[in-house]
Amino acid sequence: MKRLSFLLLSCLLLLVLFVQAQTKTYSILIKGGHLIDAKNNINELMDVAIQGGKVAAVAKNIDPSLATQIVDAKGMYVTPGLIDLHAHVFAGTDDRGLSGGFSALAPDPYTFRSGVTTVVDCGGAGWQSFDRFKKNIIDRSRTRVLSFLNIVGDGMRGNPYEQDIDDMDAKKTAEKALANKDIVVGFKLAHFAAASWVPVERVVEAGKLANMPVIIDFGGDNTHPPLSIEKLFNQYLRPGDIYTHVYTELIQRDPVVDLKTRQLKPFLIPAQKRGIIFDVGFGGGSFNFNQAIPAIKAGFLPNTMGTDLHTGSMNGAMKDQLNVLSIFLSMGMDIPGVISRSTWAPAQAIKRPELGNLSVGSEADVAILTVRNGNFAFRDIAGNRNEGKQRFECEMTIRNGRIVYDLNAIASAAPRN
Amino acid sequence: MSKVLRKFTMRKISILIISILISASISNAQGKLYNTLIKGGRVIDAKNNINALLDVAIKNGKIAKVAQNIDPAQAEQVVNAKGMYVTPGLIDVHAHVFWGTQPNSYLMNGDVGVTADGFSFRSGVTTMVDCGGPGYKSFEIFKRNIIDKSQTRILAFLNIVGEGMRGGDYEQDVSDMDYRLAAKAAIDNKEHVVGFKLAHFTNPDWTPVERVVAAGKLADMPVIIDFGGGKLPIEDLFFKYLRPGDIYTHVFTELERRDPIVDLKTRQLRPFVIPAQKRGIIFDVGFGGGSFNFNQAIPAIKAGFLPDLMGTDLHTGSMNGSMKDQLNVLSIHLAMGMDLPSVIERSTWKPAQAIKRTELGHLSEGAIADVAILSMREGKFGFRDIAMNKYEGSKKLECEMTIKGGKIMYDLNAIASNVNK
Repeated sequence: MKRLSFLLLSCLLLLVLFVQAQTKTYSILIKGGHLIDAKNNINELMDVAIQGGKVAAVAKNIDPSLATQIVDAKGMYVTPGLIDLHAHVFAGTDDRGLSGGFSALAPDPYTFRSGVTTVVDCGGAGWQSFDRFKKNIIDRSRTRVLSFLNIVGDGMRGNPYEQDIDDMDAKKTAEKALANKDIVVGFKLAHFAAASWVPVERVVEAGKLANMPVIIDFGGDNTHPPLSIEKLFNQYLRPGDIYTHVYTELIQRDPVVDLKTRQLKPFLIPAQKRGIIFDVGFGGGSFNFNQAIPAIKAGFLPNTMGTDLHTGSMNGAMKDQLNVLSIFLSMGMDIPGVISRSTWAPAQAIKRPELGNLSVGSEADVAILTVRNGNFAFRDIAGNRNEGKQRFECEMTIRNGRIVYDLNAIASAAPRN
Repeated sequence: MSKVLRKFTMRKISILIISILISASISNAQGKLYNTLIKGGRVIDAKNNINALLDVAIKNGKIAKVAQNIDPAQAEQVVNAKGMYVTPGLIDVHAHVFWGTQPNSYLMNGDVGVTADGFSFRSGVTTMVDCGGPGYKSFEIFKRNIIDKSQTRILAFLNIVGEGMRGGDYEQDVSDMDYRLAAKAAIDNKEHVVGFKLAHFTNPDWTPVERVVAAGKLADMPVIIDFGGGKLPIEDLFFKYLRPGDIYTHVFTELERRDPIVDLKTRQLRPFVIPAQKRGIIFDVGFGGGSFNFNQAIPAIKAGFLPDLMGTDLHTGSMNGSMKDQLNVLSIHLAMGMDLPSVIERSTWKPAQAIKRTELGHLSEGAIADVAILSMREGKFGFRDIAMNKYEGSKKLECEMTIKGGKIMYDLNAIASNVNK
C-alpha cells in the first residue's frame, strides 16, 4: 500500500514536471551575451532562444520564465557554431596518413571545446575511400562532418599515391560527390610535387561537373621552381574556388608576399576581388608571420580561418581553432572580423548558407566565447613569436540545440545528459 | 699586383673571420651545460619534498640540476616560468586511449577510446595508463596502434578479460578471465604493463575479483577495480580480497548499483574506509562519465579521506562532459578544499609509486625530464559532477608547457626562447 502510494505520487510528480517543461516556449535561453551574426548584420547585446533544435527567437530581454534552461552569457560573445573548413578527421589505424591513418584525428575531442560545430575534412577521402570515411567517422561523430573529396581516388594516403595522375579521375570523383551531396561540398588537390598543371585541371573539371568549389594546397617540391600562383588564380581557378595555406613561406611554394621586397604581390587583392577565396590552413608547416603580417598590413585579409588540424599541428603553433582566431587578433584584426571568417564566410564558401548564422529557424549550432585579456604570445611554424593582449576561450558549445560543452557550468538546472 | 694580393688577403682574412665566428658559435652551443633551463618557477616535487622557487636545468633528456639562480648563459634555451608552477610531468593512471575503428568494440580498439596525444600534453600529462582497454588477446594491437604511435608514454593495466574492454557480454564472460595467460602477457610486456584491471562485471560473484588478484599475485603487480554492479560490499573487497597496493577506482561514485563510501542515509564517511586506506588500499578518482559525485566527495574529504590518485577515466563520454581533462579534475579538488601540493603529489609521485614506476613522477637530478609547467588562474569558475550538480571555485590550473624526455611538446604562450621548427 505504502509502495503503491509512493508510485502514484512519483507518477504525479513526473507528470507535473513533464507538463511544466512542455509548456515552456524555449528549451534553452542564452541571456545577456553579445551576439555576432555576420549574415544578419548583428553585433550587439541580444538574447538567443532555442527550441526543438532550432533558433526560436533572437531579441533583447527575452523573458527567462519562458525557458526550461538559462545560460548566463553575460560578458561573453554568442556566435554561430564555428565552421572549420580545413580539418583532417579521417582517423584510422591503417598506415594511410590522412586517409584513414594515424595522422588524422576523430573530430569530437577538438571541435566542441573550441566552439566548432562543423568541420570539413580537407581531402582525406577520395572517391574510393569515401564510404569507409562515412562509416567510421561521419556516422559516428557528433560534430557535423563534411568533406572536400580528394581528386586522388585513394585520398590523402601519402606518397606515391598522391602523385599518381592516373588515379585523378574527375568523372568518378564528381559522381561520388553528387551521390553524397549531403556531405561532400567540393574537391581537394594537395601535395602534388611535379611541375604540371594537369592535377589542377582535373580537380577543376570535377568541380565543374558537380558544380562545387575546389580547394588547392599548391604542393611543389625543391627540384623545380614553384608554379605561379598568379597563373593559378587567373587562368585555372573559378570565382568561389579556394586557395589554402595562403600565408605559407616555403621554398617550394610561390608566396603571396614577395621574399625580396616584403610587399604583397600586386595580383592578390585583384584575385580576391575576382572571387578566389583565401584560407589560412595553418597546419604544421603553413603559417608564417613574415607573410601574414605584411599581407594584412597591405589590406589582404584571409577569407576563411581553416586550421589544418592533424596530429602534427594540434600541439604545435596551431593548437586549435580559437588559437588561430586569437593569432589574427594579435595581428590587428577585430573580433567581428575573425568571427565572420569562421562562421558566415566559410558557410558561403562551402555553399551551406543554412549554416554559420543564427537566423530564426536555423539549426541551433552556437558557440559562446569569452575574450580573455592579458599577456599572451603565439608562434608561427618557423618558431617566430608574436605577442597579443587577447585570447579567445570557449565557454559553451551547442550543437543542434544540445549543450555539448560547458566549461564553467554557466547553464542552469541542467537536465542530465 | 699588390692590389690583387691585398684583395686576395682581404678575402682570406674575411673567410678566416667568418670561420672563427661559425666555429665559435658552434662550440658555444655545444659548450652550453644545459639544453633547456626553466627559470623562475615554483617547483613542487613531492618525492624530494620540494616546494620552493627553483630553476630546473635539462640536458640530454634528463634533469641535470635543480637549484636557485642557475645562470641562463649556461643554457641553449630558456623557459620563462616566472609566476608558474613547475612539476613532474603528470601521470594519469586511468585513461582510455585504445581507440580504433572496430565496430561495437567500446574501449578495446573501438570509437569510445581517444587519442592520447590530443589530451595529454595540453594538460601537463606525460604518462597515461590505459585502464583495461586491452586484454592479453588484444595487447599486440594495442602496442602496435597505440603505444608505438603515441608521443605520450603509454602504459597499461591489462584487462583480466582476454578480449579486453570490449563491452557487453564479453566483459561478463568469466571463462575468458584466464589469470595465467593474463599474467604471462603482463610479464612478457612488463616494459608497458603495470597491473591488471577488472571492470563492469555485473553479477554478485567474487570469482572475477579472485581471478584478477590471482593474476596480480603471479605477476607481482597491483590490480585496479571498477566494482561493476554486483552490489557486493566494498568492505569485504578491501579487507578480504585486495592486497595493500591494490587500487579501487571510481571512489566518489554514487550509483545505485555500487556500494558507496559515504553512507546514503547519514551522509557520513563509512568507518572502514580510512582504515582500508591505512592498510594500503589505494583510492583513485576515476571521474569518467558517470563516476564522480560531489555528494560523495565533499563529505569524504571533510572527514579527512583524500583520494590517493587523480585518474581521469578519459574517454569520449567524459572528455566534453563534467570531467574534461586532468587539470579540470585537479581544479575540482582544489575547489573542494585540497591544496595545490596535495593534488600535484596525487598526480605525480603517488601514481608513480602506485604503478611501481618510481623512475617517474619526480624531478630528481638524473631523472627523465618529464615536466609540466602550470599556472594558477584566479577568478570565478564553475564545475559539475556527473549528476550535474554545480560547485564553484576561485582557482583553475592551466597548462603553460609540457616537456617529455627533455623535449618541449606543448608551449601555450611561447614562453621558451630560441625555438626552431
